[in-house]
Amino acid sequence: MVFNSIEFLIFLPIVVLLFYVLPQKLRWVMLLAASCTFYMWFVPKYILILLVTIIIDFSAGVLMEKYADRAKLKKTFLVISIVSTLMVLMIFKYLNFLTANLSLLCAQLGIERRWVTDIILPIGLSFHTFQSMSYVIEVYRGHQKAERHFGYYSLYVMFFPQLVTGPIERPGNLLRQLHEKKEFQYENISKGMRLIIYGFFIKMVVADHLGAYVDKVYADPSSFNSWSVMLAMAFYSFQIYCDFFGYSTIALGAAKLMGFDISDNFRTPYLAKSIAEFWHRWHISLSTWFRDYVYIPLGGSRVKFGRWAFNILVVFVLSGIWHGANWTFLFWGFAHGLLHILEKALRNRFPEKEMKSKWLSVSLDALRIAKTFVLVTLFWVMFRATDFANMKDMFVAAVTNFGGGESLGVKPEIWLYLGLFILSDLLLFNTRFDAWCDNKPIVLRWFIYGLLIFMTVACSSVNSFPFIYFQF
Amino acid sequence: MKKFLIRILMAAALLFVLNWIYTKWFFKKDVAEHSDILELVWQVEADSCRIVYLGESSNNTHGPEEPGQKKISEYLAEYFPNVKTGDMTKEASHAQTYYYLLKNIHRKSTVETVVVTMNLRSFDARWIYSNLETPLRKQLVLMEDYPPFMNRFLLALKAYPIRSEEELDSLTRQHWREDPLVFPYEFEWDNVYKWDSATAWRGLHNYEGEYDPKWTELACHYIKSYGFQIRDDNPRLKDFDDIVALSRKRGWHLVFNLMAENVDKANEYVGKDLMYLMKQNHDYLLNRYGNLEGVTVVDNLNLVRDVDFIDQDWTTEHYYEDGRRIIAGHVAEALKAYYPNEYRNVVWKCDAGHYYFGDEVSKLDAATPYGPALTLPGDSLRADWERVNVAFMMQQADTLHDTKLAVESLVANDNVLVFYLDVKPQIQKIGEWDFATFDLPVDSVMREAQQVKIFVFNPSDDAVQLKNMDVSFRPAYLKPGVKGQSMK
Repeated sequence: MVFNSIEFLIFLPIVVLLFYVLPQKLRWVMLLAASCTFYMWFVPKYILILLVTIIIDFSAGVLMEKYADRAKLKKTFLVISIVSTLMVLMIFKYLNFLTANLSLLCAQLGIERRWVTDIILPIGLSFHTFQSMSYVIEVYRGHQKAERHFGYYSLYVMFFPQLVTGPIERPGNLLRQLHEKKEFQYENISKGMRLIIYGFFIKMVVADHLGAYVDKVYADPSSFNSWSVMLAMAFYSFQIYCDFFGYSTIALGAAKLMGFDISDNFRTPYLAKSIAEFWHRWHISLSTWFRDYVYIPLGGSRVKFGRWAFNILVVFVLSGIWHGANWTFLFWGFAHGLLHILEKALRNRFPEKEMKSKWLSVSLDALRIAKTFVLVTLFWVMFRATDFANMKDMFVAAVTNFGGGESLGVKPEIWLYLGLFILSDLLLFNTRFDAWCDNKPIVLRWFIYGLLIFMTVACSSVNSFPFIYFQF
Repeated sequence: MKKFLIRILMAAALLFVLNWIYTKWFFKKDVAEHSDILELVWQVEADSCRIVYLGESSNNTHGPEEPGQKKISEYLAEYFPNVKTGDMTKEASHAQTYYYLLKNIHRKSTVETVVVTMNLRSFDARWIYSNLETPLRKQLVLMEDYPPFMNRFLLALKAYPIRSEEELDSLTRQHWREDPLVFPYEFEWDNVYKWDSATAWRGLHNYEGEYDPKWTELACHYIKSYGFQIRDDNPRLKDFDDIVALSRKRGWHLVFNLMAENVDKANEYVGKDLMYLMKQNHDYLLNRYGNLEGVTVVDNLNLVRDVDFIDQDWTTEHYYEDGRRIIAGHVAEALKAYYPNEYRNVVWKCDAGHYYFGDEVSKLDAATPYGPALTLPGDSLRADWERVNVAFMMQQADTLHDTKLAVESLVANDNVLVFYLDVKPQIQKIGEWDFATFDLPVDSVMREAQQVKIFVFNPSDDAVQLKNMDVSFRPAYLKPGVKGQSMK
């Protein structure tokens, strides 16, 4: 089930109503059933794949705790759990990619051997896998008690608001809350609704309208002039942000309606002054996952520069390949890692000095923000392109088609939607829409609600653009 | 809880205001952009139509260079010149589309009679799961019974079935495999999938015993188009039932216009088994709807001959002018019961070589250049007919027009020989009716032609009006006929 569907808008109020009507001991049953329904709305049989990883990781958690004093055995359970979970991901996400590349390699070497696999990736598997892994790692580290209730554990990895595209939750946050008794509070309903309305606005009005422009240019870059191509690149930066941020915000809102606080995934990322800061603000639940479970175990930053650079590259390449089984994603992750290292090297060489003039300081910050945005935007081309040829076409068209090619116009209302979003993003710097509304006068608040609802209904795109992160 | 209830009331009030704003300033633009078929309803209402014809491409498809390019509904309107007749035509539409259109007609509209196209092929899986269905269903969302603001939200949420090409193809094939074909006699295959596959596999052979790929392909196509049996669970039936219920509720006269199919080709390519299924489906529809009170079914299924179908290698309900006229005439006959005093026969009447059109006025200009055309097979011209006299009344506003009389002969290899005669020298009066007459030889070209067509046309922007067209064929010994003279 997707959030921007009539089914979800019927499903959600029913679930929320049942949640408050049912006694605490039955709530997990209802939430788990609702989450299964939500997931099975896509392709029912794929739930069996999740069930396999749930059984493995639940059992691993219990066994690790049981044999907590036998380090080797405990580690074995951890390894079994992680390997089997990753194996599932490997088969469903990367096998097509591996066989295709292996066949290509054989062809290059003149070996007549071809493998063809056509496995469809179950929706949300990457998110589910990482959330599952965070649980077993936390139990292994002793930061989390193993969950003894299979139902609650299943609900933790299946909780429908964040099941398909995150945020990737940690057991310390979500699993704990699932055990808590949640009372009906007007504030939760109000905040949840605010987040849902805002999420719908940025997804359905901003992201989807930009998507139409972006798709057209990416389909045939060479036929458009440089300005249109560059505009499409910039629009994609906002499309992917609004798309993913929109989904995460609706997820936050849906959970909040039932009193659950799930993690923020974004914090105005395009106001970041460096690539490092960008990753502190973009897809936070994934960045922190890699930080806690890959980067720090590799040694983090408390190592020599060379080793640190290696750690960074590993994390970013893994992050790239996590997004999709394609060389373009790997390249995208590598480019981010490389730039991150370069930035640090430059900072070490030329340490930032405190500016005496406030204006100069602000201007420099603005330049840094602009630089980061431009670089991230250029990197998004690798992310969005279907393959290297498409990526090359985009870059070539952007720098060579000044004189020729079609100029793809932008409807004035799209500038209005984008402008409104940018304004809202600036206003929400380091805060969230529900919290921002709190201290506003009721008339202004309701005016904003009215405006957002009106725009979501009357101005949303009628073309079908699935959530971008569904493919991961 | 009190606070919560107050907020719910505030939200309801807010939605009410937003709906009002949307309906007043935004709805029409959205309809133009996403649901232009609703504009057809508005047009019918604005025109105060009393008869409404609902159809798909059969209504407005014409041959590329046909003199008469009117829709079936326009030919129908000619029979009832004093009854305002309109149409709602949308390509690939079907009963569900018509139901939505009809239910959106305002209760206080002037509509009295609705003529609804009933297309036999629309009951088939291939049409039900057509790839045109998604855009069509998308158009219907803004026509739902909810407030416009809500409908727009449903449109934004894509609250209509979106199916990929693969899905649609798979569903169609599933029906072909699972829907049984039942014959009252022994038949080799029990579903259309097997029938089609076997026909394709075995291939059809011409009279010389050679494999004929074209014939085979067409036979398979006809099998897939008509090889089905309408059963009570066919979704189209529910839509037609809804139309019946709606018409009764609104007090409309309801006419189901069962369209003509190319039975000649179906018989030629496939034969009696397919003809049996077509007839069975035809009988089913007639039995189901023909006996209902307030419902008339106009049965055109076998009415149009192969030569009058535009698409010769494909199953469509696209007819040449004669086919469209035949169907319009047949529907008009049915409507005569509702409008006995308004009915006027406008077809060419034939009386021993004397063809006359009547006093229906046709306006000819660049937009509608062609007047009524008399079409005759060349071999219907009697051997003793040596002359043809064409006479008509014409009114001109000025002499800037370029009206001509044309005699068009369709000869071998689809070549067309045309000769024109300038009409202007014969018309002296301006702003009044004047009389024109032409006497022409019936030459060998006309006699040997497959078809002869005689008509008046005016391609210029300056309009003329035409009526009382008479075409008389006669032996040489008779003097040229003039209007009003009997040719007997």
